[in-house]
Amino acid sequence: MTDDSVTAVVLAAGEGRRLEPLTNRRPKPMLPVATRPILEYVIEAIREAGIDRIVLVVGYRQERIRNHFGDGDDWDVDVEYVEQANQLGTGHALLQAEPAVGDRFVVLNGDRIVDADLVRRVREATVGGDTPVMAVTDVDHPREYGVVTLDGADRVTGIAEKPEAPVSTSRINAGVYGFTAAVFDAIRETSPTGELALTDTLDRIADEDPITAIGYRGQWLDVSYLWDLLRVNASLVGTDGGANAGIDADSSPEIADDVVVGDDVRLGANAVVGGGSALGENATVGPNAVVEGSVVFPDAVIEAGAVVRDAVVAGNARVGANATIAGGRATVVVDDEVHPDVRLGGVVGDNATVGGGATLVPGTVLGDVSRVDPGAVVSGTIEPDAVVRRG
Amino acid sequence: MCGIIGYVGDEAAAPIVYQGLENLEYRGYDSAGIALVNGARATGGSRATGGSRTTGDVAPDVAADGGLTVAKRSGEVSNLTVPDAPDATCGIGHTRWSTHGPPTDANAHPHVDCAESIAVVHNGIIENHETLKAELGDHEFTSQTDTEVVPHLLETELSETAGEDAPDLRTAVERVVDRLEGSYAVCAIHADENRIVAARDGSPLVVGHGEDAAFLASDVTAFLEHTREVTYLEDGDVVDLSADGDVEVFAPSDDAAESLPRRPVDRSVETVEWEADAAEKAGYEHYMRKEIHEQPTALRQTLSGRVDVDRARVDLDVSLPEAFLERVEEVQIVACGTSYYAGRYAARLIESFADVRTTVEIASEYEFGAGRDPDRTLTIAVTQSGETADTLGAIRRADSAGARTLAVTNTLGSSVTRAVDDAVFIRAGPEIGVAATKTFASQVTTLALLAVALGRERGTLSAARARSVLEDLRGLPGAVQQALDAEADVVTAAERYCDEDAFFFLGRDLGVPVALEGALKLKEIAYDHAEGFPAGELKHGPLALVTDRTPVLAVLTEGGAPAETMTNVTEAQTRGADAIGCVSADREFGTLDVAFEVPDVGLLEPLVANVYFQLFAYHVANEKGRAIDKPRNLAKSVTVE
Repeated sequence: MTDDSVTAVVLAAGEGRRLEPLTNRRPKPMLPVATRPILEYVIEAIREAGIDRIVLVVGYRQERIRNHFGDGDDWDVDVEYVEQANQLGTGHALLQAEPAVGDRFVVLNGDRIVDADLVRRVREATVGGDTPVMAVTDVDHPREYGVVTLDGADRVTGIAEKPEAPVSTSRINAGVYGFTAAVFDAIRETSPTGELALTDTLDRIADEDPITAIGYRGQWLDVSYLWDLLRVNASLVGTDGGANAGIDADSSPEIADDVVVGDDVRLGANAVVGGGSALGENATVGPNAVVEGSVVFPDAVIEAGAVVRDAVVAGNARVGANATIAGGRATVVVDDEVHPDVRLGGVVGDNATVGGGATLVPGTVLGDVSRVDPGAVVSGTIEPDAVVRRG
Repeated sequence: MCGIIGYVGDEAAAPIVYQGLENLEYRGYDSAGIALVNGARATGGSRATGGSRTTGDVAPDVAADGGLTVAKRSGEVSNLTVPDAPDATCGIGHTRWSTHGPPTDANAHPHVDCAESIAVVHNGIIENHETLKAELGDHEFTSQTDTEVVPHLLETELSETAGEDAPDLRTAVERVVDRLEGSYAVCAIHADENRIVAARDGSPLVVGHGEDAAFLASDVTAFLEHTREVTYLEDGDVVDLSADGDVEVFAPSDDAAESLPRRPVDRSVETVEWEADAAEKAGYEHYMRKEIHEQPTALRQTLSGRVDVDRARVDLDVSLPEAFLERVEEVQIVACGTSYYAGRYAARLIESFADVRTTVEIASEYEFGAGRDPDRTLTIAVTQSGETADTLGAIRRADSAGARTLAVTNTLGSSVTRAVDDAVFIRAGPEIGVAATKTFASQVTTLALLAVALGRERGTLSAARARSVLEDLRGLPGAVQQALDAEADVVTAAERYCDEDAFFFLGRDLGVPVALEGALKLKEIAYDHAEGFPAGELKHGPLALVTDRTPVLAVLTEGGAPAETMTNVTEAQTRGADAIGCVSADREFGTLDVAFEVPDVGLLEPLVANVYFQLFAYHVANEKGRAIDKPRNLAKSVTVE
């Protein structure tokens, strides 16, 4: 049955700066994996968990979210929007939803893909008890998230957001919560303006009152960095895959099983689309081009003979004939942090153009509307609107 | 032009009718009203009338008596107090755009007869209402509308032959509508029955089939939340909706000997593919802004499955015989308003790709014209709604002259699709904002596809050129998205210039229709003085209007002779005007005060420039606090001539 008493609040107002340049034009929850926005998976999980009223907290580039989800009819849910005009943290974001929710509600991050079963368990625990509920899961790199300390199996005693010191646990905050309306006062007490992360409030609550932990071992997919998009996409096209109905195939393209292709995609003769790839709506892959392990956004064009491996080609971008993104591992710097040995052939930002025969060294990130001249070899991070000349 | 809604079924009618009126408000917002059959859920006259009910509101809002509750009021739908009538399961509603009589409470629909037991709503014009009114000398009229004769005529029909042979409501409606001259969609209810009888001739009316319920409306968006199963009525039809949702349609009979002028017919039930939420606002402040932002999606739908780049072909699923295409000497485009500008854009493309003379005419001014061979003429009606009276009139003139006719429209089942030989749909999805935005983009795109198709069929467009145009068309959704992503820059420009005296839009070639359309948007929603000119004309007169308070907005892209246009822009700048330009990505005009970048999509670049103009008009109007979705004096599709 659907539960009328519980609303789901989804936090989707943030920008996702670590994912620039892809987030220059869309909020992180709208990044496509297997041709569908991350947020769509979140909404489907909520619906499957028996909740059909969803409040989306939107802010940065919210038109993209509103256009896609409308009033939620296509997903059999009622979607309402509340606006967080300035991105002042997740606590502040949740406060914006206060007028739109009842006494009990669940809260999810719009950029984490979780199973419906987890949402259902959090919902049930929220309805059944009066303490805040928090889902926890185990990951390989806990220090990139909110590390949770537990007392016993199901009581949260503290949360440390991205701790600098080594930690002895792999258990983190999975970003799915259940609350009563009391949480709003708790947020305001933590910070009168709410200019804080929700986890700060929870850490404060945990000092005095119990927070129920819900352990979770299912699918938990988070896109923190550009290369995560390739990894998450590959894992979803594997399970979600084979949806190739929209192909406007010219002749004899080769398409692997674990590929998802959107509507009105045009594939030229002898094009090869290898495993782990997704091609967005209205995209074009020219004759003899090779796309492998890559995410191609809507309207992008990959011209004849180009090789695109382990790459993200964003909306309306163009990879010229015989251009090469050879793929492989690289060291990538994001926000002055060095990330060695990540698999990232390259990123071509929205509306960027890679000239014919140009080469992207692994790890290259081209800003939106940037242009690489034909035959140029480019590496590192290129600013938006920049032009890379052949030198 | 007005909006009509009717509901009969097993649920409370008032909220459904009210919601329908809100959905239809784009069709008119001078006044609104609702009439309900007071409810004990009885039918067939078995229930005694009486028990007059008021809505708790004061007169003139309420004229409840006998078995009907009527609430009506001038102003927007939100001004209307919805009768609290949970037992009433049959009702009709109306939202008005005035033609006869100013928007007053008395002139608002529904209109009732003397006994206040019959209520009628009407869209269209009854041309012989004065004559009919003269016949009804002893009836009391309370409004200045043409509509009011209908309930009184029904009253006469129903009372004249009392007893065994008494006509029922349907018979009465049939007799009355056959005496009406002009155009109409009318819905009538009677206090004794949970039943709606309606008729159409020249104005749109569509039936929705619910579960144990039936709907009637001017447009499917009125009831899309409840059902997508619809039947489009044809001119001359009378439809009878019963309390349990059964629908019977009666069409004029060819057999004059029959006692009644109509006999039952089967009209097909179709499923509407539009999403209900596409006609909802999704939290946007205005439909117009939502629809501007929907353009990439709308354009992908317009193109979907129609383009084969490699074979340089277009498939629009229209059957224009090869022999006709070989002999065709002239393509005529007829349209109004924004659709007319889309036609102007397309005419250049058709002439260039298909090598055939193409003329564009404002529909209300159209005549087939002397010296033309109808057998060698293709007349294309471009209309978003498919119900625009002027355009329908024009295409009928073309048809009776013997020309081959084609409609380019957004609306399945609309009147224009039945008036022409072939129809092509632009697939933009419902457009609710009165100012057309996404439908302009989809119209131009559809017509560009048609131009390529004609060029290829006639052998006048090379495969190479066709491929290049088709690739540009496929690039259009992404290019429009890029313009939308720059909205913040347009907001800045709108804030800077919103208080100026007037705005001049300049363009050449394909930039001319876009300049005209840009000016129209600003007039429509910001109420600012705005004019579009071919840039070369500036120096032949309009330059006298240019001051330092009249910014100039120019199309400086591919397809719009940018260098020449810039010369004219500079002429205006010399007189102190600021200049805002939409510029191709590979060009730069350093002297512009504001420049918006247009990605490379060849001859379609002016269409991307138009997106900036749409955003500019929207944000200027927003700065001024205008009623953007309901601009004063305007209605969405104008179904009167």
